[in-house]
Amino acid sequence: MKQTTVRTARAMALLIALLGLTTMSASAMHIAEGMLPVPWAIGWGAVCVPFVVAGFFAIKKKVEQAPRAKILLAMCGAFAFVLSALKIPSVSGSCSHPTGVGLGAILFGPLVMTVLGLIVLLFQALLLAHGGLTTLGANLFSMAIAGPILAWAVYQLLRRVKAPAAVAVFAAAALGDLFTYVVTSVQLGVVIGGMVKFLTIFAVTQIPLAIAEGLLTVVIFNVLEKYSRDELRQLAVL
Amino acid sequence: MGTDRYAYQSRLRRVSPLPKLLLTAVAMLVCLCCDSIPVGLATLAAMGALVTALGGLSPRVFLHFLKIPLVFMVVGCLTMVVGSYPPGTPVLAALPVGGRLWGVTAEGLLLGGRIFCKALGAIGCMYFLALNTPVTDLTIALERLHVPRLMVELMELIYRFIFVLSDTAAHIRVAQESRLGYRGWRCSLTSLGALASMVFLRAWRKADRIYTALESRGYTGSLSTLTDSYRPGWGLLPLTALVAAGQVGIWLLERMAAA
Repeated sequence: MKQTTVRTARAMALLIALLGLTTMSASAMHIAEGMLPVPWAIGWGAVCVPFVVAGFFAIKKKVEQAPRAKILLAMCGAFAFVLSALKIPSVSGSCSHPTGVGLGAILFGPLVMTVLGLIVLLFQALLLAHGGLTTLGANLFSMAIAGPILAWAVYQLLRRVKAPAAVAVFAAAALGDLFTYVVTSVQLGVVIGGMVKFLTIFAVTQIPLAIAEGLLTVVIFNVLEKYSRDELRQLAVL
Repeated sequence: MGTDRYAYQSRLRRVSPLPKLLLTAVAMLVCLCCDSIPVGLATLAAMGALVTALGGLSPRVFLHFLKIPLVFMVVGCLTMVVGSYPPGTPVLAALPVGGRLWGVTAEGLLLGGRIFCKALGAIGCMYFLALNTPVTDLTIALERLHVPRLMVELMELIYRFIFVLSDTAAHIRVAQESRLGYRGWRCSLTSLGALASMVFLRAWRKADRIYTALESRGYTGSLSTLTDSYRPGWGLLPLTALVAAGQVGIWLLERMAAA
């Protein structure tokens, strides 16, 4: 009897410690300034260049066709920033921030997301000290390129096979969120070693958060579908 | 918002953004390339001194900002430092779990400390820029560096809209909270979803109205603004050289001491 109490107490203590980690994940998705050595920082920046250039020309074309698109895209970028500053309730009662990776990719498409992501990440680094200038490339790759592309692909695939919209949105948002963290862990792990350690920590803290973000995105989508069908239709053209 | 409020109050606010950008870039690059504990700490100290003495920021505020990225750095470095080693490895402190030693070796600690201090120095440099240069000045600097016009315009617009939208979001949040919208997990999720989608909807409609307003004032596809008159800020150039020389000097001293 006594032994079980001790064991329960131990398990509880471990659980609390693990849940304590979830509060850290608020800023854990951005690699902090200066954490990457110079060659890696430049390398990740170089990897991002073609994506950003492609996104820039996609936006340029849209703006030339319809000048209104510029203001709309800027609003979308600001929305992404504000969304990432919201506190999302997590299962354990702690809070984190939604990445908005899935929502952005579904609404605006992965190409536009790269450019908006670049600007938003730059502002987050300068205004909020989330991320950094030297790690901008690495963060851009995980949060504005890899995550959105996966989320967008998942969404398109599930819609193709006639899955319900809610399932597609949930899967896209949750997987996009998770994939972003996997890429971040790999980026840190490749440089410093201990990829498995980073992945374990992130897996414990991120899976509940990814589920929360998926549910949140579904709720957002339901409301948008109800009240702003016109805007969503325009976005498909935009 | 964040650093921006202090950037507008900085004494270096009227100095041209380009020399400030240069100082940040040079100091950050040298700090990262040296990859040593003393250089990282010295860079942080130098940047702290510059921000407080030249910019006129109170040290308490600087320390407060320094705390923000600390959580991530501590988690990242701890993950690096703690590892599992085969039994018999010389460790500083470790627990035997499942036939392997889980703990900290001197090498791991040194590596973690080096990355931590290097990152601290880089963060100091970033804050020198962020706490002395408002984003509007920075966009002007980017334009002078021949970043495409459309990109700069998008940045300016996004910067402005961030404040508009976070105002909207804050109002909705207060309204929801006063109606007990955040009691319990389920309820919070629904409220937050409603908040986010309403912010999106309002952003969309507001963009439409802004565009109409612009068009009625003769908008032809580009927003042109006049630049402020800046002080040239030549004084920052020797300071940049001084900081870089100090960093390299400390690095050389460390190499000599090690050799």
